[in-house]
Parts: sequence; structure tokens; C-alpha cells
Amino acid sequence: MDVSNIIESLKLIKPEIAVSASLILVLIFDLIFHKDKKLIPYVALLGLFATGYFVIHQFGTTGFGFATKSTFKAFGMVTVDSFGTFFKLLILISAVLVLFFSSFSDEIKKTTDRLGEYYVLIFGMILGMFLMVSATDFLLIYLSMELLSLSSYVLAGFTKLRDRNSEASLKYVIYGSVSSGLMLFGISIIYGLTGSTNLYVINSLIQSPQINVLALSFALILVMAGMGFKISAAPFHFWTPDVYEGSPITITAFLSVASKAAGFGLLIRFIKTGFAAMTLNNGYWMLNPIFDWKLIIVILAILTMTLGNFSALWQNNLKRMLAYSSIAHAGYLLLGLAVFSNQGIAAILIYFFVYMLMNLGAFLIVMLIADKLGSEDVDDYDGLGYTSPFLGISLAVFLVSLTGLPPTAGFIGKLYIFSALIDAKMFVVAVIGVLNSVVSLYYYIRVLKHMYLVKPKIQPVEIIPGLSQKFLVLLLVVPVLFFGIYFSPIVELAKNCVVLLGF
Amino acid sequence: MVNYIYLTVLFPLAGFLINGIFGNRIKNEKIIGIIGSGAVGLSFLVSLFSFFQLLGMPAEERSVIVNLFSWLNIGALHINFGYLVDPLSIVMSLIVTGVGFLIHVYAIGYMHGDKGFFRFFAYLNLFIFAMMNLILGDNFVVLFLGWEGVGLCSYLLIGFWYDRKFEKGTVSQAAKKAFVVNRIGDFGFLLGMFLIFMTFDSLNFQDVFAKAASFPVSETTFSFIALFLFIGATGKSAQIPLFVWLPDAMAGPTPVSALIHAATMVTAGVYMVSRTAIIFASAPVIMTVVAVVGLLTAFFAASMGLVQNDIKKVLAYSTVSQLGYMFLAAGVGAFSASIFHVMTHAFFKALLFLGAGSVIHSMHEEQNIQHYGNLKKYMPRTYITFLLAALAISGFPGFSGFFSKDEILWNAFAKGNFVFWLIGALTAVMTAFYMFRLVSLTFFGKERFGHEHHPHESPAVMTVPLMILGVLSVIGGYIGIPAIFSGENGNKFEEFLKPVYENAERKMVTYGTHTHFEEILLMALSVAFALTAIYFAYVIYTRRQEIAEKTSAKFKGLYTVLFNKYYIDEIYEASVVKPIQTVSEKFLWKIADNKIIDGVVNGTGILIEKSSNVIRKLQTGIAQFYAVVMMVGIAVVLFWIILSL
Amino acid sequence: MNNIPIEYYLILSALMFAVGITGVLIRRNAIVVFMSIELMLNSANLSLVTFSSYLGNSIGQIFVFFVMTVAAAEAAVGLAIIIAIFRNKLNVNIDEINIFKW
Repeated sequence: MDVSNIIESLKLIKPEIAVSASLILVLIFDLIFHKDKKLIPYVALLGLFATGYFVIHQFGTTGFGFATKSTFKAFGMVTVDSFGTFFKLLILISAVLVLFFSSFSDEIKKTTDRLGEYYVLIFGMILGMFLMVSATDFLLIYLSMELLSLSSYVLAGFTKLRDRNSEASLKYVIYGSVSSGLMLFGISIIYGLTGSTNLYVINSLIQSPQINVLALSFALILVMAGMGFKISAAPFHFWTPDVYEGSPITITAFLSVASKAAGFGLLIRFIKTGFAAMTLNNGYWMLNPIFDWKLIIVILAILTMTLGNFSALWQNNLKRMLAYSSIAHAGYLLLGLAVFSNQGIAAILIYFFVYMLMNLGAFLIVMLIADKLGSEDVDDYDGLGYTSPFLGISLAVFLVSLTGLPPTAGFIGKLYIFSALIDAKMFVVAVIGVLNSVVSLYYYIRVLKHMYLVKPKIQPVEIIPGLSQKFLVLLLVVPVLFFGIYFSPIVELAKNCVVLLGF
Repeated sequence: MVNYIYLTVLFPLAGFLINGIFGNRIKNEKIIGIIGSGAVGLSFLVSLFSFFQLLGMPAEERSVIVNLFSWLNIGALHINFGYLVDPLSIVMSLIVTGVGFLIHVYAIGYMHGDKGFFRFFAYLNLFIFAMMNLILGDNFVVLFLGWEGVGLCSYLLIGFWYDRKFEKGTVSQAAKKAFVVNRIGDFGFLLGMFLIFMTFDSLNFQDVFAKAASFPVSETTFSFIALFLFIGATGKSAQIPLFVWLPDAMAGPTPVSALIHAATMVTAGVYMVSRTAIIFASAPVIMTVVAVVGLLTAFFAASMGLVQNDIKKVLAYSTVSQLGYMFLAAGVGAFSASIFHVMTHAFFKALLFLGAGSVIHSMHEEQNIQHYGNLKKYMPRTYITFLLAALAISGFPGFSGFFSKDEILWNAFAKGNFVFWLIGALTAVMTAFYMFRLVSLTFFGKERFGHEHHPHESPAVMTVPLMILGVLSVIGGYIGIPAIFSGENGNKFEEFLKPVYENAERKMVTYGTHTHFEEILLMALSVAFALTAIYFAYVIYTRRQEIAEKTSAKFKGLYTVLFNKYYIDEIYEASVVKPIQTVSEKFLWKIADNKIIDGVVNGTGILIEKSSNVIRKLQTGIAQFYAVVMMVGIAVVLFWIILSL
Repeated sequence: MNNIPIEYYLILSALMFAVGITGVLIRRNAIVVFMSIELMLNSANLSLVTFSSYLGNSIGQIFVFFVMTVAAAEAAVGLAIIIAIFRNKLNVNIDEINIFKW
């Protein structure tokens, strides 16, 4: 590894450098202006926009960065391709939105003296996620996941107001550490079997027959358990509801979208670069037959969405309900992966884009209402649809979209996932997915029922969002409706971004 | 300008959004009215410029597709969101935006002081938006989008005064009736669309029509497609057997009746048949069905109009009857004649409704013509314009209705047969009669209203649109003067529309030639009939009202039948609604639904709820338990892999 | 190294891993749970170093350095959270931390 190689590679990680620079900048600002923290959100926003510039510039760039000498020269620690860039963009957009959420949130406002740490940790999460979606070496995979995890452990318990936050944080740490321990053990076995931590090298080596398949499968399961933790796939999802309910809503929203996106980006890249022998002309992947990939992912997906949807039925706390719903959505997304084709990946990308808009929107409304109402309980939403029509209608749009009904963008997401399944002749799976959507209708509509049909016992509070809050809500509602009707831009973008550097 | 045709759609949409979102904050009726009607006015200007640009092109190039974006791309289905500008769509859009603009302006005066003023204009704009999509869409999907959109707006606007009473029920019930009946038609239309997609693998007008003209498709297939499409048309355009909703639609505010239920939306069916002329032309049997249904509708609706006493009801039946004429024309293959009648009808029927609205307005919501009389003294402008429109619809020589109706009757004879002509001519007689019964009872004779009424002329914002429409009702027909009068130039209107129907014309059987003498003779006959009817109606209902009473006493049976609209509503009630209700109640509801479906659904629901209550208990809240489940999960997968090795 | 077969190292590593997991699953005290997690990480470290030496490449050893750093950070975060909980509840028994459930 010579110096010129490093310098060349640095050009590939400009967004990550920008994020790190912003992190340091926010830290310094926090130290200098420790009396007045008003500036910090603006600095953070500036940092995100600078990062956004580099991310957008990175579209179309491809390359391998930080190759070690002992491995093939071409393959490195990071791989830059439009697939990863799409996820980076997704993470960045949700980060910007969460930044705005944070500036409205009462929970965060109460911790003004530690605002600097809050933004620093958010940048830490972003950096971790950026590296996750482009990592092709186990070392970087492990480090980036830990960077993301450590930052989010702290953020989950950031407000420290009640035991609730600490409990969320503790559960998150224990669960996260255990799964990272499992993953690390798996990595050590794979390293022992192949002598490398680079996915490309591993891919070429495991095709040889000498590899002990049982040991490899064992290691793979452990590694995938670690990733399953990040995307909260069953049976690694248990932390999700507790942590989501206990964390500040802004962090919950960020975890449910960005962290999940990063986890999916990593999982997809891991499977594609590590175990796809080749991509057929029709877009389907030929996976290394270590075990029945398709069956495992399908079972995981069905388990995930069924558990998520069924558990959500009884939830009264909206945050917790949305947590279960996000588990269910991870299940739909896994269905897209189970197809193991470029078409399925395109569907995942479309779905994620839509999911970002609608899920963040739902969390935003819940946050705005909780700030005024002091409650996230669905029973306290009685009659809110009439006293606060703007928030009521917006929440209705988001929930209908989460259900996946036209004319919202959520329908388009589901449409592409299911058409990918049907294209792969996985009819039974598609039917199970649709049935699950039907179940989900019940608990989403229940919220609407409370808002519009249940007679309130006490006169409900009138919640009038401020102009900037209204604007932010519209910024999410309008695309959800707009992309429900005119969706070819996202579809085109997603189709252009399915290309992964690999086999 | 043709390339900017989407502006005609965007302006009303913008108007709808502005009035719909900010309307209740603007509060100022003037501003809301100006935004609402201005949006449509701008659309009209765009249409007008596009029209002139189209005129400047050579006839065979007058078909421009404006593609906005690629909309659906799933599997074999490729739908662009595109607009088609050709003579047919531009004529329709001129009618819709032009007449629509005048009605919007009129509504500023008519709706003055209504608490839903902004809502009204938002709905009207939304309607124009949907209607323009229907007209301009270059494929069936966009057309269908507009088709459903206008249906929705019609529902919203009929039920605009949802808290009022209407006849035996409420306004909401009338709106619901319109909605349900329309759904039946829409279902037919959807079936037609599916069949088209299955047959031609496309839903794009150009592809479908090109393939329809050249593909070896069996006549049976064409017949089914045409039949389904026609069912859709009967729903939207209020033809037998689905016409029952239109009279009830009069529950809406009068400008709505004028715009939606007279001038524009109800002609959507005619437009659709005309647009798919090639498909209909390939199914001669269905063509005959169309003609016969149109003819019967025209005849029966006119006979029902003879005895109605509600001023808007008379006009409603008259609308149904006139729509029947249009389908008669389309059915015999005279598509351009039917569109010609769409245009003239839009002028005079909108005028009649607006005039009626003006009368109702000044009589404080009194709609019974028996309680009017001698209003010409109080509202001269309304009177004159109404009279012009009545003359036009009665086919008085030289007025717009004369040309279009004559064109249809002549075609009914030339391309159809003598019976078609005869029934059509009888309908024309009845039309003249009931129109002048209406005019006489309203504007002539003795004042039959109490002293609490002080009729007055409506404000200028209402009368100016009346006057403009009055002028159009008189001269609107001159662009379509038949060849026998205008010499070798031929019928300009027909000439303009000709390229649209070229393929359809080629498919249809050519008929034997007829002489000019026959044409003039038939024309003279129908004119003589109409004039006689006008004279009798005037005499009977201004001076000799006892004749009317005696006649109705003498033919009491017939009178009751007519007055009760042939008991159609009752027959539907007894033959369709009641049995369905009984079956639904006794079997579907009590047994099938309550016992079986509810049992299954509730059972599933309970099962899901119960099992979900068990499943969620997995979430014990103890972190170590979570870890256990995770380990168990890993172990199970591992065990399974070992087994499958 | 040469005298002791690689299997011994690996078996030790696996045993450590199993002990770690068992500790996580059955101990009540959160601090002991964290210690068990450290044990899991260290078992992975052991096998990484073993493989590194056996295969004669340095990647495994580099990896171990990173893992040790991460483990330290993780322990720091974990202990901070445990302290926060201890302040509220005056004990750190994991099975009593269950406000969120179902």
C-alpha cells in the first residue's frame, strides 16, 4: 500500500471526509461557544449540505479504495458505486430532516446544554452509516457498525430525563454488544477459513471445494445475525420496540429510517459481493450454494413482517406501534432481497425512498402532537382530526401510505416489491406479503378511527403547528402524494442505482 | 400554443388548489370568483390560440401529441401522461372552457352570500380540471382518470347543499343516486378498457385505433368492446336505462346543472363514443343499438318533459332527450353531427339553465312553473335570452339548434331509415311544445305568484353571460351550415372534424345517395311541425289554459304515466332495487354476510387479535430473554443447515 | 506455538465464547453481563490471533487491535449507562429493567 494509492483512495471518500470534518467542526464550535448553543444546528446543517454536495457529485463514480498489498490490488476496503451513493443520499436526506425535527422537538430543547454532543453523535452515526454502505472488508464492516452502534446507544438515552431513556439505552447496548460479539466470532471463523477479510477475495476463495461448508455456514449465520440486528429482522428484532419507545422521537425516527437503510445497504452488498458467483443477463444473481439463501431470507422476511404486524395490533403507544410497523416494513424489504435480482434491489431502493418520506412524516406528526399533548397514546388522539385538521390529515396521508394504498407513494413501493416477487414466480410469498399488508391496515386505520370517529371524553386540545413546522410537514406530505401519482423519477433513479461493483 | 395545451389543465388545477386551500381565509367573494373564473378563462384563451394554430396547419397534420411524462411502466403496460390535440379534442375543450368560463362568471352572482362560496368555486375548477383531462387525454387511462374525476365532482356538486331537502329525500341521497348509477356505467367502461388492452396490447389511442383499423380482429370482439364502452357512455350521458340519475341531479345549484348536467360532463359519453368511432364503426350491430337507445331516450325523455312542473326538471328531461339525439347521430355514423349538436346544445342548454337560475334566484328558490307568470315584465333580459334559447332548441329556422338538429334528422334518414327520422321529428315537435309551455307559463300569461314575491332582474354579472350565450345560441350554428345552403364549400364544421373519423368512415357501409329535394322536404316538414307546436303551446298556456286542463283530464291515464315519468323510478325500485335489497337483506346480509362472511371475517379477526396478543407477549421486556430468542434462532437455522447438508 | 496444535487454541476460544454467552444469558447483574460480553469479544480475538499466526498473515492481528479499542469504547458507554440506571433504581438487575414490554 503506497502513498499514491492512499491519496487516490481519499478522493473516493470525500463524503465521509466531509462528515468527519463537520463532526470536528461541531465539536470545536461546541467548545468555543459553550454558552450559546444556538449556532450549532446551523453549523451541523451546513456540514450536511457540504456532505450532500459531495454525495451528489459521487453519483456515477465507481472505484475501490484502500486496497492492501497482500490482496488483489484492485479490491479495497471501500467500494464506491451508485448503489452505495443512493443509500448515502437517503441517509443524508433523512439526517437533514431529523436535524429539523430536532430543532422543533421539546425533548431535545430541554437538553440545550448538551446540544453539541447531540449533533456530534448524530454525525458519528452518519459517518458509521456512510462507511457501512460502502464497506467491502470485514474490518471496516465491523468498525463502521460499531461506530453507528456506539453513537446510537448514547443517543437513545440522551435525554436522561426518566428511567425510560436509560432503559432503552441499556437494552440497546446489551443486545447490540451481544450481536456484535456473535458477528465478530463469525468473522474470525471466516478469516480462519479463507485467510482474508476482504469480501472480494473471500468470494473467489470460497468457490474452491476445500472450504468446510459447515463451518462457513455457521460463521455466515453469526455474521448475518449481526446485520439482522441492525435491520431488526426477526428473531433479532426484540430490541426495536423497546429502544424506539424509550428514545427521543427524533432519534427513533433516525434509527427507523437511516440506520435501517445502512443495515440493508450493508447486507445487500455483503451478500452480493461476498457470495454472488455472477449476475445473469436477466438480472438474477447466481449465489454460491453454501446453503439455501432464498429459503432463509424468505423465512426471515415472513417471520419479520408477521411478528411486526401482529404485535403492532395491540399497541396503544404510537411510537411503539410505529416501531413494530418498522419491523414489518423491514420484512417487506427483505422480500425484495429474497428475489436476489437487480429487479428486487431496485424495488428495495424505491421502497426505501418512499419509506423514508412516510415514516419520518409519521414520526414528525407524532412528535408534534406529543410535544403539545404530552402523550403518544392513541386514546389521547380522540377527536384530534377535527381540532387539528392539518396534522390529522397529514397523519392520515402517512398512515395510508404506510399501509400501501393508492394514491400514495407507499403503494408504489409495495407494487414494485410484489411485482419483483411475481416476476420471480414467488407467488405464495407475494400472497403472504399482501395478507400482511391487510393486517397492517387494521392498526394504521385504528389511529384514524381515534382521530375522526371516537367521541373524545374531554375536549381535545387544539394543536396549531407553527409556520416552519407546517412547511416541514408539507415537505413530506406533498412528495408522498406526488410520488404516488408520478413515480417514474424515483423508479428511474433506483433502476440506475442497482449496479453494485461485484460479480 | 398547441404544445402548451397542458396549461388548459394546469390553470383550473391551480385555481382549485388556491381556492381550496386558502379559500376560507380569503373570504372576499370577489377575489375567489376572479381566481375561479379567471383560471377557466385563461384555459379558454389557451384553447382558442391552440385552435387557431391547428387551423393554420394542413388538415392531415392536425393531430399533435403532447407528452408530459412517462407515467406507468409495469410489465407490458406503458402509459404516458400525454395529451392529444386534434380537431375533436380542441372543439370539446373550446366548448368546456368557453361555456365553463361564462358559467363561472354567472356563478359569482348566483352563489353570492353562500357560506360555501369558496368550496363551490374550488369544486367547479376541479371539475374543469378533470373534464379537460378526459377530453385531452391521449390514452384510455388518462381519459378514465378524468372520467372518474368528473364523476366525483358531479357527486360533490350535486350534494353541495347536502343539508337541504330534495323532493322526497335529501340532497345527499340525490348525490348518492347519481354516484351509484354512474358506477354501473363506469364498470362497463372499465371492462371495455380491459378488453381493449387484451385485444390490442395497448391503451394508447393512436396504437389502439391504428390496430383497430388494420388488425384482423373479429366483429364479436369489437361488438363486446363497443358494447361495454357504450354502457359506460349511457351511465355518464344519462341514456336508457341509466338516465334516472340526471333529473335528481337537479338538486345541485343551478350553475352546476348548467355546467355539468347540461353543457359538459353529460356529453362525455358522446365524446367517448365519437373518440372511439373506429371501434364502433367496426361493430355495426352495436351501432344500431346506440342509435335505437338514443332515439328511444330522446323520445321518452321528451314526452316526460311535457308534463313536468319543476322548471329545472323540464330542462333536465330536455337534456336527456337532446343527448339521445346525439347518440342517434353517432349511432347512424354521423359522428361530426353529434359533436356539432354537443356544441350548439352546450350554448342553448347552458343558457336555458342559467336563465332558469336567474328566474329561480329572483323568485326565492320557487321552482314550480305553475307559480310563475308574466315574468317578462320584471326580468326583460332573462326573458329575451331565454326566448332565444328556447327558439334554438325548438329548431326555429336560422337558430343554432335548427342546423344541428336538422343535420341529425337528415342523417337519421339518409344513413338510417324513415322510422328513425319520424320518431326524431316527433321528438322535435314535443321539444318545441314543452319548451314553449315552459316559456309561456314562466314569462307570459297572468302572474300566479303571491305578493310576497318581488321578482327583479338579476345583476349584470349574471345577465352578461346570458347575453353572450344568447348570441352564441343564435349564430352558433352558422359554422355548420349544411352543404345545400352554403354551396360548394360544404359543411365547415364537418370538414374540420373529418380527419378524426377517416378510418371509421372507411369501415362503414356507404349508403345510397339522396337528393337535395328529399333533404329540403324533410327539413321543411320538421320546421312546420316545430312552428305549429310552438304556436299551440303559446296559445294553450297563455290564453286557453283550460284546454290543457281538459286534455290532461281527458287523457288522465296517459298524463299520470307521463307525470310519473313512466314510473321508471318505481319500476327500477320494484324490479331491481327491491329484489336486490330483499336478497341482500334476507340472504346476503342475514345469512351470507352475518353468518358466513362475518363469521369468517370476525373469526379471522378474532384469531389474529388473539394470536397477536400471544405473539406480543414474546416481548417480555427483559433483555436477556431477547438474547435467548436470538440464540435459539441461530441454533435453529444452524440445525436446519446441518440437517440439509 | 509449534508445540501446541491449533485446535487447542480454537477449542479454548470456543469455550470462552460459550462461557460468555452463558454469562450474558443467565447473570442478573448488568455489570457481570458486560464482563461476559467482553469475554465473547476476547474469544473472537483469540481465534483471530490464532488464525493470524497459523496462516502467517497480519490481518488478524490488526483486526484484534481494532476490536480491543472498540471493546473499550463499548465498555465505557455501557458503564455510563449502568451508572445512569443505578442512580435511578439503586440496583442494576437486568430482569428488573422492564418498563417496556409487550
